[in-house]
Formats: sequence, C-alpha cells, structure tokens
Amino acid sequence: MLPVASLLILVPLIFAAVTFFTKTKDQAAGLAFLGSIATLGLTLYAYLNFDSSTAVMQFFESIDWIPLLGVKYSVGIDGVSLPLILLNAIVIPFLILYSWKEDRESPNRFYGLILTMQAAVIGVFVSLDFVVFYVFWELTLIPLFFMVNIWGGEKRAHASYKFFIYTHVASLVMLLGIFGLFYASWQQTGVPTFDIRTLVAQFQFLGSGLLRDAIFLSIIFGFLAKLPIFPFHSWLPDAYTEAPTAGSVLFILLKIGGYGLFRISLPMLPNTGNPELMITMLGFLGAFSILYGALVALRQKDLKRMIAYSSLSHMGYVLLGSAGLVTLSVSGAMFQQFSHGLIMSIMFMSAGAIQTSTGTRIINNLGGLAKKMPMLAVLMMLGFMASLGLPGLTGFIAEFLVLAFSYVNLPGFVLLALLSIVITAGYNLWAMQRAMFGVYSEKFGDVRDIDSLQVFSMGIIALLVLYFGLNPNPVLNMMITNSKAIVSLAAALGV
Amino acid sequence: MENLMLLAPEIVVAATGLIILFIGVFMSPRTKNILGYLATLGVLAALVLTIQSFGIEATMFSGTVSIDALSQFFKLVFLAVALIVSVASIKYNENSDHTEEFYSLVLFATLGMMVVASSNDFILLFCAFELASFATYALAGFEKQNQVSLEGAMKYFMMGAVSSALMLFGISFVYGATGTTSIPMIAENASLLAENPIGLVAVVLLIAGFGFKMALVPFHMWAPDTYQGSPSVVSSLLAAGSKKMGFVAAFRVFILALAALQPDWQLAFTILAVVTMTFGNVVAVSQTSVKRMLAYSSLAQAGYIAMAFVVMTPMALTGGIFYTLAHAFMKGGAFIAAGAVVWMITTQRTGDLQVPDHLDNFRGLGKRMPLVALCMTVFVFALAGIPLTSGFMAKFVLFSSAIQAGMTWLAVIAILNSALSLFYYARLVRYMYFLPPEGKKIGLPFPYAAALLLATAGVFAMGLWPEPFLQWAMEAAKVLI
Repeated sequence: MLPVASLLILVPLIFAAVTFFTKTKDQAAGLAFLGSIATLGLTLYAYLNFDSSTAVMQFFESIDWIPLLGVKYSVGIDGVSLPLILLNAIVIPFLILYSWKEDRESPNRFYGLILTMQAAVIGVFVSLDFVVFYVFWELTLIPLFFMVNIWGGEKRAHASYKFFIYTHVASLVMLLGIFGLFYASWQQTGVPTFDIRTLVAQFQFLGSGLLRDAIFLSIIFGFLAKLPIFPFHSWLPDAYTEAPTAGSVLFILLKIGGYGLFRISLPMLPNTGNPELMITMLGFLGAFSILYGALVALRQKDLKRMIAYSSLSHMGYVLLGSAGLVTLSVSGAMFQQFSHGLIMSIMFMSAGAIQTSTGTRIINNLGGLAKKMPMLAVLMMLGFMASLGLPGLTGFIAEFLVLAFSYVNLPGFVLLALLSIVITAGYNLWAMQRAMFGVYSEKFGDVRDIDSLQVFSMGIIALLVLYFGLNPNPVLNMMITNSKAIVSLAAALGV
Repeated sequence: MENLMLLAPEIVVAATGLIILFIGVFMSPRTKNILGYLATLGVLAALVLTIQSFGIEATMFSGTVSIDALSQFFKLVFLAVALIVSVASIKYNENSDHTEEFYSLVLFATLGMMVVASSNDFILLFCAFELASFATYALAGFEKQNQVSLEGAMKYFMMGAVSSALMLFGISFVYGATGTTSIPMIAENASLLAENPIGLVAVVLLIAGFGFKMALVPFHMWAPDTYQGSPSVVSSLLAAGSKKMGFVAAFRVFILALAALQPDWQLAFTILAVVTMTFGNVVAVSQTSVKRMLAYSSLAQAGYIAMAFVVMTPMALTGGIFYTLAHAFMKGGAFIAAGAVVWMITTQRTGDLQVPDHLDNFRGLGKRMPLVALCMTVFVFALAGIPLTSGFMAKFVLFSSAIQAGMTWLAVIAILNSALSLFYYARLVRYMYFLPPEGKKIGLPFPYAAALLLATAGVFAMGLWPEPFLQWAMEAAKVLI
C-alpha cells in the first residue's frame, strides 16, 4: 500500500515548490497542472482501495513528532475526509485549466499558491493529531491571503486583511479550546496526547460540564467562523468578491470548517454539559444562516457578491444537518459540502468569465449575454439550477436529506429554513434572467464566449454535478457509514 | 585546581576577543576583513564546545560559577546570536578602521552574557552584567557621525547606569538581610528576607534593574530609540542577546534566590507582562520605521516570555526558556534583514535616506532583494506565531502552560495580543511583496545572506523538529524548580 495520506500532502507541496521557480506562464500552469493530476491520481488510488463499508480510519500512518508533548504526525483517511479530498483533487486541475489562458502578473506564484493551498487543505482533511491539524489549518490562510491581496479586485487590501485577521482570531480561540482539551485529558490520564480521536473519546470524562461546554464552544467557534455561519460571516462577502476567480474557487474548496464539525465537534456534542442547548443553538444558527444568506443574496447588485451570500445560505444547511443528529441529516450535511464545492466552482467561474469579457459584474448592467456567450449560458444555467436545488443535480440531494431528516429533531428550524427555498429559486432565476437573457446591451461591443479550455473544465465539473445528482451513492455511501458511527454515539447517550 | 575545561567556551570567546583586538592594531583596513571570519570561527568553536558539554553539572570557584543545564542553554542562545551577528558584521565592517574594536566588543559582550548565565553569586552576576552592558553601550554608539545613533546610545547608557545602580542597591539590601551574596545561600536563608520588609524593597529594586535589560514596560524607554539608532547588527545583538541576559539573570535571582518572596514578585511580573505585551503591540501598529516596529514587537515578545514568571509551572518555564532561543533566531534575523535593507538604501542612494529603515523603503523588496524579503517574511510570520516556525512552537508551549495552570485569562490576553501583532507583521509582508519596487534589483552580499540563512535555519529547525530544543529547555527549567 502506498502511504497515500502523506503523499497527498507531499506531492502538491513539492510541485508547488518547483512551480515557484518557473519562468513563463505556460511552464507554471503546465507544471501545476501536472502536480494536480498526480494528486488526482493518488486520490483515485485511495478511492479505489477504500472500504466504504466501515467507519474505521484507513491508510493510517503515525510517527512521533514531539514525544514530550505527545504530539504525533498521524494521518489517515475515512469516509468523512475522502469525499472532500476527492472534491479538491477533482476541481483543482480544472481550475488550473480554466485559469491557464488568463494573463496575470507572476504566474509562477499564482499557480504555486494554488498547489500550496491544495496541500494545506488536504493536510487538514487527513490529520489525526490536533497539532498537525492546526498547522495545516493555519497554513491555508497564507495562500488565500496572498491570492486576494495580489490578484484581487479594487478593495483587495481591505478584504485580505479582514479575512486574515478575522479567521486567525477564530483559529486562536479554537486553539484555546484544543489546549483546554489537551490539558484536561493530560490531568486525567497522566499521558499527554494530541491525538484527535483519543481526545474526542476521552471528552466525556473531563472536568465539569461547564468546562466541557467551554471547550466545545471555543473549538466550534473556529469551525463556525470558517464555515462561515451568521453572525461570524462578515469576512466572507468581501473575501469571496475581491478574490480573483481562482481564489474564490479556492475559498469554496476550503471545506475545513464543516469538516471540523463532523470530525471533532459532533462526536463531542453529546458529551457537553448541556447538549440540548447546544443543539438548539446550532440548529438555530444553521436555519437562520440559510434564511439570512438567501435574503441578503436576493438584494445584491454584484453577481459575485450574490454568489457569496448564497454560499453563506448553503453553508447553513451543513450546520442544520449536523445539528439534526440523524444519520441521514448528517450525511446530507456532508453531501452538501461536496455538492456545494462543485456547484459554486461553476458559479464563480461563470461570474469570472462574465467579468473578463464584459468588465462588469453588476447584474443590472448585463443582459442578453446568452446570445453572445451560448456555451457559458448553458454551463452557468446548470450551475444556477443546481444551486436552487433542481432535482437530478447534487444540490437537491443534499438539501433534501438535510431538510427531510433534520425535521425529526428540529422541526421548527426546518420550517424556518424551508422559507428560503422560494427565495433561493428567486435570486438564482432572477439573476440568470437579468444577466443572460433579455435584450443584449450593445455597449459591450463584441463579447467573446469562454475559450475551449474553460468550456472543457467547467463542462467536466458540470457533468459531475449531474452525475452525482443522479447517482450520489459513490460518495454518499461512505458518508452514511461514518454518519452512523457519529450518530450512534449520540443515540447511546440518549441525546 | 578547578577543571578549567568546563569553562572552555568562555575561554575561547575571551581569547578570540583579545587576539582580534591585538592583531587588529597591526593590520591595514583592507586586510581587517579577515577578523570577522576569525570572530565567527571563535564563536563557532565555543558553540560546539557548549553543545558538547550539555549534561555536565558542576560548581566552580567556591560555588560562584555554576555549570548547569540552565547556563548551558543560555550560552547556546548567546552564542547563536553572536554567530549570526558576527557573520552579518563582516559586511557591515567592510573597509572600517575600527573592525577589531567592533568584534572584540561583540565578543566581550557575549562573554559577559555567558558569565551572567553561569553566575551563582550576586557579585559575579553584577560584574558580568556590567561587562556585557558596557560593551553594548559602546556598540550602540558605534556610528559616531550618526546623530540618531548617538542619541540612542546616550539614552541606553544613562538608563543603563541608573538601572545598574538600582540593581546594586537591591543586591545590597539582600546582602544586608541575609549576610551573603551567594544565590544558594540566600535561598537557604530566605526566611530572613521574607520576614524583613527590606526583602520587598529589594524585590522592587531588582525588578527595576533587570526590567531595564529585559525591556519591560515601563523600563523600556530606551529600547525603541536604541534599537532604531544602533547599527542593525548591534540592534540584533541587543534585542536577541542582551535582552535574554536580563531574563536568565532574573530567572536565577527571582526564582532561585528570592523564592521565598514569590507572591510579591509574581504579582509584579503579572502586571509587567500584561502591560508590556499589550503596550508593545499597540504601539508597534503605528510605527513607520521598521526597526522601531521591531523594537516594539520585541517589547511585546518580552512580555510573553515574562509570562513564565507568572505561571511558574515546569511547563511555563520550559516554554519561557524555549522562547528565548526561538526569539533569538527570529528577532536576530529580522534586524539583520532590516540591516541589509538599510545597506541597500545607503549604497544605492534611493528612497528615504533620512530614515533608511522606513517602511516605504521596503516596497517591492521581494523583487529587489528576494532572499532578504523571503527571510524577513519567515521571521515576521514566526514572530506572529504562524505554525511550522519556532515562534509557533514557543507560543504553543508557553501559552498553553497558562491554560494548564488555570490562568486562561492570561492565555487569552496573550493570544489576542498575538493576533493583533499579525496586523503589523502582515503589513510589512504586504509592502515587500505587493507594492511595486522603487529601484532595481541588487545583489545581496554574502555575509548578509549567510547570516539570514543561519537564522532562518534556526527558525525552521525549532519549528519543525522542536524535540531536542524542548528537551534542553526542560532540563534547564529543572534547575529552577
């Protein structure tokens, strides 16, 4: 067996390092593409050798790193992490293809950062030690900060700083929680360890209910801010909007907040001092984010900003489904992460293409673009339809699972969230109609359609949205296996 | 007869200093550059000897000198700084008439610091402290034509002299109450000190004396001016080296000798630590001179290290000691990087010549001096505590120890401070990489490159493979408990 988990971090990292030293645009993009394809190959290898009938950690490796503090370099892959690794590994090669033809300053850094980002995100998904987890978690900040700050829009400085400081502070609060967990366990057992699974398993024995609540809340705060969820989302619209297209897509692939929820917070949830209160709080925040994001998206003038807020709304489903604490609602939340990554990639790529060819993203200034950009119109339509939850596409499956099964435990919040379905359909269709259809505004002159590389890359992602929409089982099965394991913990405690 | 081999590192450093001073007199300015290499070689030899002697424990000269894990660790810190500084100074002293004086002062300062680390007696401690201080006073004012430099050196000297006097005054009180200057003896007679109100006065005086060298607020007034005014290599020595001398002396004096008065000085250090880290970070945000910004960030870092006195658990002391070495690489390297930029500005005669380390002069440094910009980025991210660097590991151990000891509030303050610091560090990175360069690319002289790479290697070694350093720091902390 290949040490896949480590290679998935190392391969993109090595390619990134070499990419930084390339001279021309083609060299940089080509090398980065090669690196991402190698990563995709490794991911497929992991997928093919993966046993989705068990929730046990597979491809597990562990080496001592700082024995004094019980820090180990431990990595592994299970049904929670594999779909997200798959999402990253699939989208990034096409993201590179999509961006290939664009002219920009220092392409070597641009593509190098994309691969660094990939390594960091996969690093978070595979790490099973809190220190390793935190290291990669923080590492994701740096490529995104540079991405927005160098190649972003007009207000890039503001957006990048806001993003950096905001999420860094959230991570530090999370770190406090991790330390709390670490020391409480050390005191209890006399053996220092940062092993995620051990600490999560020991959580129920640690300290008072109040202490456990504090630890749980400070850790989940880091995840909610990264997800993001109302009211910790204020960095999101700025960062998503100001980032270059590739940067926005990378933000979308940054599914570490939701991942942390499944890997760490949900198994801890039943053992907090007051689980009912926590579930109510999370359910409310989830449902409210769904509604709030949709409402705010409805009144956006800027296409990219609208997509950013719709993303906030969609992330609400992840939280709501998690708080639902039923096997299928949790699986739905996991599937939403996967589906959202694919759908939003298409949406941001569309918005980017529109901006490149017309120079504007203000929805009202556009119109009739479908005549001049038919290929884009088709692909964009599919993305927007998936976003509003059209059956047959991935978005539907995720939202259906979350709404239908969270109802078991959280009926009130589901009803609240249901309101958003109409609004979501509203803003998606309305934006589509105003931007792509209607009278073509002649002031744009001769607008060109997206180039063949872009059609190809967006097309493949669109096909995946369709494929997984019709046949979600390849990823859904492993999610269900792991959700069962998570939920059975809660069920055993009667939560 | 004592086994002088135990003092081999000190002897090598002292001998190198004397040899350089002696042969430098007979050399022409053109050939003097070789002295820099000689100094580097001497420091390197002492460094190797120190690492070799890890694990040895002995007392010498009637118990006035103690060779233990604590002193060995700090010797490592001082020699690492001296190494970086002496390598970088090879460029700084190019074509200087006073090369031999410069290097011998650096070496004597290092010697003083090393002896402070081993001092087990107040008298020796004070003498060594003064040896290091006087050497650095002279170094701070080394650019005699530079008004800013002279002002900084003057401030440093005046405040240093007063603080020495206060320290000596404090020592006299301790002697008066206990009848001895030996640190172990004082600890034995601690009850005499604890019962006597004089003990409290002594604590106050000693905190003022050491607080000056540690640059804790409000004893920090000299630091920003001196760090900014001094040649960058000297700022590096001051911030990375002589500040740590303050810490090792304070460790021995407060934790070992004055353990009986712990409640008193612990309260004082709590206030000093919190005020220092917050003040340093808040003021650093508004600085436009990079060296000044680094000076204020250095205050903040001293505030973090001072947490070790507040938390006082083995873990916290390990963290504090580990932090001193981590800080030596980060801050030492950052000042050298600033020095390389100052060198570029003054030789190219472009940009703001009045304040050669002005933030504007760092515009587009990624294009003009790629290596300096890259290393500087590593140093400031390390200072901010970004993972995989020494700074992260140090904060990790130190801050988490506060949580372990139940002082979550202190950890929260420190962590918030550390988040705030990211703001001004990230701004520097933005200037270096995102703003267009003013001027053309310039080749980096070898000594600067070598010093920067040494410091970067230290930052990553401690970040990626912290185990041996933590192990040493833990051994050193055991001496204090």
